[in-house]
Amino acid sequence: MPLIVRDHTWTQNQNTVYISVPLKGVKTANVHVICTDEYLKVSFPPFLFEIFLFGPINEEKSEARIGNGVAVFTLQKRTDELWEQLFTNIDKDKQKHIREQAILKVQEKEAEKSKAKATRIQQEKKYALETMMKLENEERDRIQKMKDEECAKATAQLDFWRETQRKAAEENENQQKLQRTGTNNNQLVYQKTERANATPAVTLLHNTGNTTSGQISRKQKPKDLPAPRSAGCIKISFTPRVFPTALRESHVPEEEEWLKKQAEARRAVDTDLAELSDLKEEERNPDWLKEKGDKLFMAGNYLAAVNAYNLAIKLNRKIPALFSNRAACHLKLRNLHKAIEDSSQALELLTPAVAANAPARLKAHVRRGTAFCELELYVEGLQDYQAALDIDPHNVALQADTDKIREIIQGTT
Amino acid sequence: MSSTLEKPQIIAHIQKSLNYTVFDSRWIPCSAKFVCMGNFARGTGVIQIYEIQQGELQLVKEIEKAKPIKCGTFGATSLQQRHLATGDFDGSLNVWNLEMPECPVYSVKAHKEIINSIDGVGGLGIGDGAPEIVTGSRDGTVKVWDSRQKDTPVVNMEPMEGETKRDCWTVAFGHAFNDQDRCVCAGYDNGDIKLFDLRNMSLRWETNIRNGVCSVEFDRKDINMNKLVATSLEGKFHVFDMRTQHPTNGFASVSEKAHKSTVWQVRHLPQNRDVFMTAGGAGNLHLWKYEYPAQRTKKDADNVDMGVAGSVNLLQNVTLSTQPISSLDWSPDKQGLCVCSSFDQSVRVLIVTKLNTV
Repeated sequence: MPLIVRDHTWTQNQNTVYISVPLKGVKTANVHVICTDEYLKVSFPPFLFEIFLFGPINEEKSEARIGNGVAVFTLQKRTDELWEQLFTNIDKDKQKHIREQAILKVQEKEAEKSKAKATRIQQEKKYALETMMKLENEERDRIQKMKDEECAKATAQLDFWRETQRKAAEENENQQKLQRTGTNNNQLVYQKTERANATPAVTLLHNTGNTTSGQISRKQKPKDLPAPRSAGCIKISFTPRVFPTALRESHVPEEEEWLKKQAEARRAVDTDLAELSDLKEEERNPDWLKEKGDKLFMAGNYLAAVNAYNLAIKLNRKIPALFSNRAACHLKLRNLHKAIEDSSQALELLTPAVAANAPARLKAHVRRGTAFCELELYVEGLQDYQAALDIDPHNVALQADTDKIREIIQGTT
Repeated sequence: MSSTLEKPQIIAHIQKSLNYTVFDSRWIPCSAKFVCMGNFARGTGVIQIYEIQQGELQLVKEIEKAKPIKCGTFGATSLQQRHLATGDFDGSLNVWNLEMPECPVYSVKAHKEIINSIDGVGGLGIGDGAPEIVTGSRDGTVKVWDSRQKDTPVVNMEPMEGETKRDCWTVAFGHAFNDQDRCVCAGYDNGDIKLFDLRNMSLRWETNIRNGVCSVEFDRKDINMNKLVATSLEGKFHVFDMRTQHPTNGFASVSEKAHKSTVWQVRHLPQNRDVFMTAGGAGNLHLWKYEYPAQRTKKDADNVDMGVAGSVNLLQNVTLSTQPISSLDWSPDKQGLCVCSSFDQSVRVLIVTKLNTV
């Protein structure tokens, strides 16, 4: 319970009431005042001073001075009359009611104040922003103006230069006209200078105008340019690269893969000693066997060629050319299924599809396509021929064959 | 702020939208006119001559030809005649008198495929020696023509027998400091740069910069070769110091990555050979200045001279369009004036300021 203070003092005159409340040693910071038109409460824990005023006062005009151990309130009366006493005696309910009202009022006031403060801050911010923007705009305009000045200056110079050009061109024309009418004169003059090595009078005639004299002398002097160069030819070669495509066109990762595969294929040689023990040294070399096979193929001995390729494949299963060539042999021998198998094997080995193995792939596709057609599987054959055409679109024979197959398919359906 | 405004500014003075694809634009020497070359949508070639008048471009003449025109140069004509040499999509080289364009002054079927690039030397009162035109084509050959010799080139640089050919994308003349010496530099689509000496009829130097070479240019055609700039795909360009050739290392170079896309063109300022502009595939232009090193040569381990490359500084850059800028040409008469054309079917006249203080 707070201690009620009763040792206050008060005086009054016609329109003001002065109340003095001792603070009893409490710091000024801890003093809290609630004042409404009919009620005054000063709370400075642990003390409390409240009075219900005799008459209404004007709260806005009143003031409180808190300091020096005492709180002095100067309250402006609403009506100019002398009060008999400071406070009225009212019953508890009314007191309570008045107290509550007071608190409400104080709260309202606080709310208003904070709102006002907020709006004020907002306005100030806006103002600051506006001034900032104005300053920046000014800066920008200044720069723009300087730029425009530069531009205008440059265009003015350009126009001036153009004018001078035009004038010079006109002058040239006029001089040319003059010159045309008086060419004979000038020629004689020039010849004189040639012989007499430039007498002053004659040179004066030449210096009628810098450009004109230049023109005249140029027109008369024979053109002493060197003769056209004797024909030459320089042969050039381009930077070598395994794949002759520029960096931007290359499919470098695929090409690297293909190179690696080739290298591996070279290295992989399955040696099965039992079978190979009776072979000669050179017959163990897949390349030699492939060449042998090729020669036998050219000679027409297809069975022997197949044998050669078989041995080569046994030695090295990774060389696509062997399968492709064996497929060709089988084709000639009309072993169509074997041909299809071999060319499929070759195509498998020829992945990834790069520019370097394009011819090989082309051949494999054509061989497989032919085998399919011989087996009357025209649709599969067309697929292969189409793939071959994709690799080499300009091959006329290929196009003719593809068209033929297409016609056959359309004829039978 | 003030320091940024002391840099050269690139100002787009005039922009004109055209109704055809323009591949090349060149100033007509000693005039305020320029030529635009390209092709109409209907597949015919066009040459248009524009004049700058009061901040606007006036069309002076329009000439339509049968085949689309890819490139042109005034480099090999005299200042009075000012004939335009053009290369077209069909591989024909024609030299036109723009006053009477019905019939070419010189015409030859130079290549089997499109002429990608053309350059001329010996004309315009610059340098000595016979005026010659060099053309580089997709058929992998580079040929040098003299307009006094019909039908056959004076020099032919072609791949050896059986060699797969690479497209030649760009050619440039250089080293024409007297009437005997001349060099041709050619850039190919596989990144090869080859320097041919026409006096000895031999290949003087070659290198590979890995990405296709879009444009090469010497800083001056008519001096002992000083610098060569080669631009390529993927945003790189190389500046070679051509004064010192090492027997194995070739020429020293510095390379710079810019533009974040193909660098389509490089052009040196005619009035200052250390300033050049590169045009990029994103429609931007970068202005560069080359700084020479303290010592241009040094000795290597075997006491052989080798060159030292300097450094390149970016002076200014500007983005003009979203499409690549395909051609760029400085005016030889007014410092800072240049015309550029881009694949958004427009041609722009630019003014670059403060180049005299750069």
